[in-house]
Amino acid sequence: MRKSKFLMIPVLLWMALFLLIPMVIVVAMSFMQRDTLGNVVYHFTLDGYKTFFDPLYLGIYWDTLVLSVVTTVICLLVSYPLAYYIANASPKIQTWGLVLITIPFWINFLIRTYAWVLLLRTQGVVNSLLLDFGWIQEPLQMLYTKGAVLLGMVYNFIPFMVLPIYVALEQMDKRLLDAASDLGASRWKAFRHITLPQSKSGIMTGCVLVFVSTSGMFVVTDMLGGAKSMMISNIIQSQFLGARNWPFGSALSVIFVITSLILILLFNRAMRSRADRAKEGSA
Amino acid sequence: MKRKGIAGLLLAGAIAGLSLMSLGGCSSSKETLHIYTWADNFDEDVLNDFENKYNVDITIDNYANNEDLLAKIKAGGGGYDLIQPSDYMVSTMIKSQLLEPLDMKNIPNFVNVQDSLKNPVYDPGNKYSIVYTSGVTGIAYNKKYVKDKIDSWDDLWNPAYKGKVLLLDDNREVIGMALKKQGHSNSSTNEGEIKSAVDDLKKLQPSVLAYDTDNIKQKMIQEEGWIGTVWSGDAAFIVKDNPDIEFVVPKEGATIFSDNYAIPKGAKNKELAEKFINYMLDPQVSAKNYEAIGYSDPNAKAMQYHSEEYRNNHMINLSEDELKRTEWLGDVGSTLQVYDRYWTELKSGRD
Amino acid sequence: MKKKSHPLLGIHSLLMMIFIYVPILVIIVYSFNNTRLSGEWKGFTFEWYTSLLKDRHVMEALTNTLTVAVISTLAATLLGTLAALSLRNLNKRWKGGINGLMYLPVVIPDIIMGLSLLVLFSQMHVPLGKTTVIIAHITFSISYVYVVVNARLAGMGRQLEEAASDLGATSWQTFRHVTLPQISPGIIAGALIAFTMSLDDFMVSFFVSGPSSTTLPIYIYSQVKRGISPEINALCTLLILVSVTLILLAQFFLNRGKGQKKHKTLPI
Repeated sequence: MRKSKFLMIPVLLWMALFLLIPMVIVVAMSFMQRDTLGNVVYHFTLDGYKTFFDPLYLGIYWDTLVLSVVTTVICLLVSYPLAYYIANASPKIQTWGLVLITIPFWINFLIRTYAWVLLLRTQGVVNSLLLDFGWIQEPLQMLYTKGAVLLGMVYNFIPFMVLPIYVALEQMDKRLLDAASDLGASRWKAFRHITLPQSKSGIMTGCVLVFVSTSGMFVVTDMLGGAKSMMISNIIQSQFLGARNWPFGSALSVIFVITSLILILLFNRAMRSRADRAKEGSA
Repeated sequence: MKRKGIAGLLLAGAIAGLSLMSLGGCSSSKETLHIYTWADNFDEDVLNDFENKYNVDITIDNYANNEDLLAKIKAGGGGYDLIQPSDYMVSTMIKSQLLEPLDMKNIPNFVNVQDSLKNPVYDPGNKYSIVYTSGVTGIAYNKKYVKDKIDSWDDLWNPAYKGKVLLLDDNREVIGMALKKQGHSNSSTNEGEIKSAVDDLKKLQPSVLAYDTDNIKQKMIQEEGWIGTVWSGDAAFIVKDNPDIEFVVPKEGATIFSDNYAIPKGAKNKELAEKFINYMLDPQVSAKNYEAIGYSDPNAKAMQYHSEEYRNNHMINLSEDELKRTEWLGDVGSTLQVYDRYWTELKSGRD
Repeated sequence: MKKKSHPLLGIHSLLMMIFIYVPILVIIVYSFNNTRLSGEWKGFTFEWYTSLLKDRHVMEALTNTLTVAVISTLAATLLGTLAALSLRNLNKRWKGGINGLMYLPVVIPDIIMGLSLLVLFSQMHVPLGKTTVIIAHITFSISYVYVVVNARLAGMGRQLEEAASDLGATSWQTFRHVTLPQISPGIIAGALIAFTMSLDDFMVSFFVSGPSSTTLPIYIYSQVKRGISPEINALCTLLILVSVTLILLAQFFLNRGKGQKKHKTLPI
């Protein structure tokens, strides 16, 4: 087993070639300038980074973070019970549950999101049903709102939350729960002091995956939100494509990646220390 | 047992995938033309005819917008012999030296192109490009909901259509529209003019249902939006599914656009690409192609082969008068940054 | 012995499943709708299924997508698991850096990943095609597998492995009979996420694909200009059908095999 650290080498080589080198290119580009045609000119400047601190872009970044946090929290709240249910079900249901949760997400993302357009629009399925039942007189404007964006985000990232939490819960030593109830702990207490701390690694992973995916996602805001708001990834995208300012786009990306990594790190640390405290407490 | 179950699934999936793989991937030694274009931009039959006539293969790959195309070609993404950039993109690509000059000796049918579409501002002398189709950005509206006479960009600002206005999701198109409304060039590089146009758009913002380029047709067909900025070709498409839609080119003038044939630098089959362009410009081939795809046909000699329905469609064939009011989007150089910033302000609702 | 779950949990899970499947149901229904428009119901038809099977572009894109997804998921699952396993044996100083590196693809915006890889490939004169798409997908998929497997390892003590080697098991035996069974749910979950990511990826694939390597997402994105066609709905329906059938078959054969064989085999 000691030798196994050398197994890291192929992965590291792979990542160095296809990840680090391209990233070095991007970082280098973030310090360059653009000419009038949008070509990158090799001339050192910090303009890209300075522009980011324009309140306009800072504000958009803030909006992005808020939406990502809200999405992550909702995703966690709806996914945890589901993952818990699956992890505690019979083996057969476990298999089926996992697969049934993932399969819909093998359908193209754009189509999935478009299905929500079909459901939510003024002449869509939901409005027609509500009108037929006589519950509403006028079709509701559900699409192209913030709520629709949130719904689309949560919908798309459910598996990213369920799977890691399931993995953590499945591994839990269930005898602990029996012991707890033998000792007279209530269900809630057992959950709070045994299940929850033991599933922390899963919660952590799920939250990171959902948070990062949401903040990098803009097709949902465009399709379900009517493109009436901007996410930081819209800006990055438009700098590389529409506005043809690759250096600014690179600078934004570097900032985005670094802040995301820092947030992940802080989050991991916070969760770890709480988990450790919980362990100490139970010991 | 449960774990075995999941492993089995993965294995089964892998086998299914691999067996599907073997279905594809047949290759041949024939000369192959690699076309990179918009989705469904050619009639499938016409492509087949070309393949058979010259005993060659055609591969088609798609991009969804000019910016994607540019980024890819610029970053060295190649292997394509023929691309179809829009007007302003042709001029950007020429300036960035991303295109091969065309050899007109191989394209004698170029004479068939309408004079008004030859020698365009974005490529003087047609050195690098030949028009494939063109159209105008105007106002499309639904007669069921919009009873007033629509003939001006100003009508979009009518409070009666609050929450039902659709705008293209494109900074140059939309700001260009507002510039036109105020009587300026759609490619103004005067920051004051641009700012005043954007301030105008900020007043329109509460009326906007959505910004959309790709799905705007569906939104009009489904009557989610009542009025909006729509390309003439798209309007012709919408009408087929919703006859209540009408299309006008506003009196203040509008933006004209085109998609073109061009050959990217370093293309391996340049001559074959030119042969293809020439073939497509044959009057009969051309009539067959545009009849099928429903875009405007730039081929002057092809009109006689078109159906009456096609010839009478005023959204496909715009009038002289309408075309006189139009202007190409010019390259605005570094002012593009100004457009982009204002656009970001407008859409994010921040200053 | 297992305690029964609270009934509310069951109801919640059922509601979640409905939530997940309602849009899918819409797609299935519209795939039989007798109109090119995705609007109202105009009667039942199989037309889109027949025209789908004749459409060489869609079929080619489907083949490409599945090829890329299967190969990249297998490779990334292997590499990502290796990385997570061997990370445990590194000292702290290395751990942080490598951990950060492995998280990188998850946080990098797609367009950056796509463009920078395109620049790299064109500098190295690698012709664009399926190979470059697969390489790119492996690169981001590794991370997802790594992150999930790593989480599993974090929650797992080393006592069992130590016990095994104390009892004289070779390191391979320990790995195969102790470690692997313990982490396999993590591996599977990681592989499922990687597969999903690969099937869905548009931006990265767009930039690193070349002639004849159009994947389904690229095709669909470019198609949207014309409105999402009912053939695409039909295709999605077929994909769901095929996935579910495969699972049923796998279940069936595994259950049949269970009778004869004693529990000896391992997950993968």
